[in-house]
Amino acid sequence: MSQTFFLDGQEIPFEEGQTVLQAAMAAGRYIPHLCYRPQLEPHSSCRICTVIISGKPFSSCTQPAMKEQQVECDTAELNALRRAVIQMMFVEGNHYCPSCEESGSCRLQASAYYLGMQDSHFPHQFPLRQRDSSHPDVNMDRDRCIRCETCVRASRDLDGKNVFGILGRGLNSKISVNSPSGLLEGSDVAATDMAVALCPTGCLTVKGVGFKVPIGLRIFDQAPIDVVELLEFTKQEAVHG
Amino acid sequence: MQSASVVHPEEHLLPILQRHGSDPGKLLQILIEIQHAFHCIPPEAEGLLAEKLRLPLVRVRGVVEFYSFLSRSFQGEVVIHFSDNITDQMAGNRQLAEALCAKLGVKLGETRTDGRVSVRFTSCTGMCDQGPAALVNYLPLTRLTPDRIDAIAALVEGKVPLEAWPRAFFQVDSQIRRSDVVFRNPLEPGVALRASLERGGEILEEWAEDMAPSDARRHHLERGGAETLKEIYAAELRGRGGAGFKTGIKWESVRHAKMGNRYVLCNADEGEPGTFKDRVLLTDYADMVFEGMTICGHVVGSKKGILYVRQEYWYLRDHLEGVLRWRREAGLLGEGILKTGLDFDIEIHWGAGAYICGMESAMIKSIEGRRGIPRRRWPLPVHQGYLKRPTVVNNVETFAAAAVISARGGAWFAFNGTQQSSGTKLFCVSGDCERPGLYEYPWGVTIREMLRDAGGLDAKGAQVGGPSGTLVGPEEFDRRVCFEELSSTGTLMVFGPHQDIFEAVKNFSAFFQHESCGLCTPCRVGTTLLANYVKKFEKGYGSPVDLEEVQLVAKVMKTMSHCGLGQTASLPITDSVRKFPDIWTERMQTMEFVPAFDLDGALEEARSLTGRTDAAAHLTHLEA
Repeated sequence: MSQTFFLDGQEIPFEEGQTVLQAAMAAGRYIPHLCYRPQLEPHSSCRICTVIISGKPFSSCTQPAMKEQQVECDTAELNALRRAVIQMMFVEGNHYCPSCEESGSCRLQASAYYLGMQDSHFPHQFPLRQRDSSHPDVNMDRDRCIRCETCVRASRDLDGKNVFGILGRGLNSKISVNSPSGLLEGSDVAATDMAVALCPTGCLTVKGVGFKVPIGLRIFDQAPIDVVELLEFTKQEAVHG
Repeated sequence: MQSASVVHPEEHLLPILQRHGSDPGKLLQILIEIQHAFHCIPPEAEGLLAEKLRLPLVRVRGVVEFYSFLSRSFQGEVVIHFSDNITDQMAGNRQLAEALCAKLGVKLGETRTDGRVSVRFTSCTGMCDQGPAALVNYLPLTRLTPDRIDAIAALVEGKVPLEAWPRAFFQVDSQIRRSDVVFRNPLEPGVALRASLERGGEILEEWAEDMAPSDARRHHLERGGAETLKEIYAAELRGRGGAGFKTGIKWESVRHAKMGNRYVLCNADEGEPGTFKDRVLLTDYADMVFEGMTICGHVVGSKKGILYVRQEYWYLRDHLEGVLRWRREAGLLGEGILKTGLDFDIEIHWGAGAYICGMESAMIKSIEGRRGIPRRRWPLPVHQGYLKRPTVVNNVETFAAAAVISARGGAWFAFNGTQQSSGTKLFCVSGDCERPGLYEYPWGVTIREMLRDAGGLDAKGAQVGGPSGTLVGPEEFDRRVCFEELSSTGTLMVFGPHQDIFEAVKNFSAFFQHESCGLCTPCRVGTTLLANYVKKFEKGYGSPVDLEEVQLVAKVMKTMSHCGLGQTASLPITDSVRKFPDIWTERMQTMEFVPAFDLDGALEEARSLTGRTDAAAHLTHLEA
């Protein structure tokens, strides 16, 4: 007999050890998120999944579900704050959706649509970021990086390789590669790495397949991110159960 | 010091590695020694460390790039860091730094082409009561004046070794201006520790001969620890680092933790600008601090303590190591302390220039030799802290207070203070006042009392508790400083009648921008957005719309940020908008929104590439 908590008044069952986000997703309730992936340790860096519990904000990807807890999630105020955080991601990088090969498959773009983002709102920072096309199979376009460290975690924990890491601090922090030159060429990255597959934006892409699926038929062209994420979550649960 | 170009790994690097037992957890400590030897981390060192410590190269580089006092490029034979707190700034540090750069012919932030010297700014170095201050090759320079700057320039050009510089330049004073019950009668070393141990029963003579059975020793420790914990509870001691968590609860959680190998960590990162109490405690009362840590070890059943000190206090290294050595010789540290069954020792770890490492969980990462990124909230450090073991983390002042409580009793301690804030507290007073320095008051002291004692009653405002604390105007000077009213790490920066509060707000917003670790989006981006809005107002382009935008960014950061840095970084701005609205409105030259994007500035790169320096290459020319 599992215990329950309340998400916007809806009773959600949970197992001991589950986070608020896991329990909500398992119950078919989507909580927006970008750095959380069911296969990986939660990171709590994108902050999109923030919910309010007893008046205080917590990232639902790391907050353990607790009995009888009242969790506010899908409120106008929180969604506006989430939208603002997404807008911050857009202005800190250089995201040009119309010319990006990931458009339609990009979780940042899909989340922006889901949260009703109409413009980038904040002043653009136009950072100068280095692109890395040195590798024959994998491309890294830092303009599109949101520093969710999905690649860092996936390479370390799923691929067993440690290809990626973060350098610098604050707004100057950036993704880097574990090779003497700091370039993908000379690292042990492969096009089949989960680190590449799980990148939520167009930062890490496989070369030569960019437009195999035409625009209009891509995953988020067919269904919004909440539907896709819930489906993926159920699949992951079925595999790892 | 060797020049950066000649690095012989075998000769220079391996001894450092060996000294640290080639332990990957010591990566930061090893890097600090390399930085001090070469004034950079040479590329050869990165590779060698990755290989010998079996770490990914990118992780070694990540650690180097995280800390302000580590650098991948050569910083010069003489590295001068000017402290850039608002108190230094009010005392003229900018002019002094510019003068020094001009004399030395070096550009701020760059290493001179002959590799002799570089001049940089750094966050507050904790010498706010004797600034303007700087660090030269990681040693503090205090009370800088134009004359001293001239002398320093000559010493640098004359290649005079630091040891031969006038001692007065390096003099650091404790300046304890007011002592209350705790510091009026300081404890003799060992008294508090003996009191804690004797709560378990008499320490018998036969124990010295090692004849007492081990379970008798264990029960003795067990009993004593339980009794001392009761005193900590009776004292109602709350953490002195800012958050004010009940120390008794923290210690009890670790005491009852299921896992062994528990740790006691003392946070001496003291990065909150305007704060220098830990510096004075570690200078004059190091015994008390180490004793508090040892007592904590007794209570929670830990054998190992680590003192994490910010590198700005590197000059205290020999002193601190000396006190630890003395305590080991006196039987107050090590195995069988005071001939009981208590084993506890303390090791010192150094920070390398990162405010965020004052945050409990970031400090733990830093002590593990990693980037100082605050980790997720759960599990708490008392359950899984340093090396995933149950860990107590307390501030320097909290451990000192614990020692006093053990010696004099919880009730004695709790006699002072207010309902929810027991005991006395150290306050660091700096800025525009006649007597800057350290003041001990019972909690509940008003700002006005402190200003009166320090000679700063004419202040137009004050920053209580550092940039992450509260900005107050004269109408709030009668507020009491305590957890229930105006909580504080113990910092009061005084702004005199002639000061422009806007300068303080600008300084603090630049500080947070520089110190944001970059982990979470709201803080990483928000601190930069805020700093840019402040600059926009400074240039006269701010409008009422921008002030609304500032409030929006502040709200996003406050609610959505991962840790206290991002949650509080907007406070100086929002406080000043409420309490000193004039500093914003008087800078508004327009009621209409003006874009922040500086088109002319954006063309600078094109101008420098084409070598155009003429007026016609500027947009201002077109507008005029």
